[in-house]
Amino acid sequence: MIEFLCTVQEGCIPENMRPELEKAIQNTSVEILGIAKGPFSISWAEIPRDFGFRGGKPTTTSHVRGQIPDGCDKETRERLMKEIGERWYDITGQTEDELIVAARDEGWKGNTIKSN
Amino acid sequence: MPLYRCIVPKNSLDYGQRQEIAEAFTNVHCGISAAPRSFVHVWFIESGKDDKVKDSHGDGFLDYKTDYYIAGGNRAGRPPEVRKEILGGLIEKFCEISGADRENVSGHISEGPASWTMEAGHILPEPGQEPAEWYEHETIPG
Repeated sequence: MIEFLCTVQEGCIPENMRPELEKAIQNTSVEILGIAKGPFSISWAEIPRDFGFRGGKPTTTSHVRGQIPDGCDKETRERLMKEIGERWYDITGQTEDELIVAARDEGWKGNTIKSN
Repeated sequence: MPLYRCIVPKNSLDYGQRQEIAEAFTNVHCGISAAPRSFVHVWFIESGKDDKVKDSHGDGFLDYKTDYYIAGGNRAGRPPEVRKEILGGLIEKFCEISGADRENVSGHISEGPASWTMEAGHILPEPGQEPAEWYEHETIPG
């Protein structure tokens, strides 16, 4: 299973741009990871204006967070993230500074620590 | 990275509080971890009691009983006591600025390998191995 959640800041990535982005992320994932690693799903979340911050200031940064099958090697994972980034910049006009792409193993549990 | 999502009741914080909390979280995280300030992301998500929010760096959905919840994601590799110190600092500042009672705020910090994230076009380095020029990365777009 390959899943992506794209979280964008309100007003930064118009809805009519999202189908093209979905296609680009899917095609890139299938090309690099292989169709056998599917199925593929993608969802969107939007942070309302003035609810997202970076370094303490309002932000325009988009997050593309992927969950991919376990066992992906380092080079393949990096290539996946970089090529998704390139397609994102081309389609949206956002700069490298405005994008985070993550690709984590679907089996990863997070080593979570909790408060009292 | 890091990413701190504050799950809060609707209309519970105004813009001034959100900005002050975001600034304070940046100060806490960078004061303890020495990470570049421009890499600290803070989001506020207004959520109802029945809404489900996924863990950004761990597994499954957030599970909490308090009205306010801080869901954190960090690069893996810091000792658990450092993450506890960060989390404690975030909760303290959140309560101070929001006015929320300490017993009504809880949180967690999950972690993920640095190499699983690309930010500003670069694959993230391990904590403590940030190149010097990243501290010149104080120009925050948007």
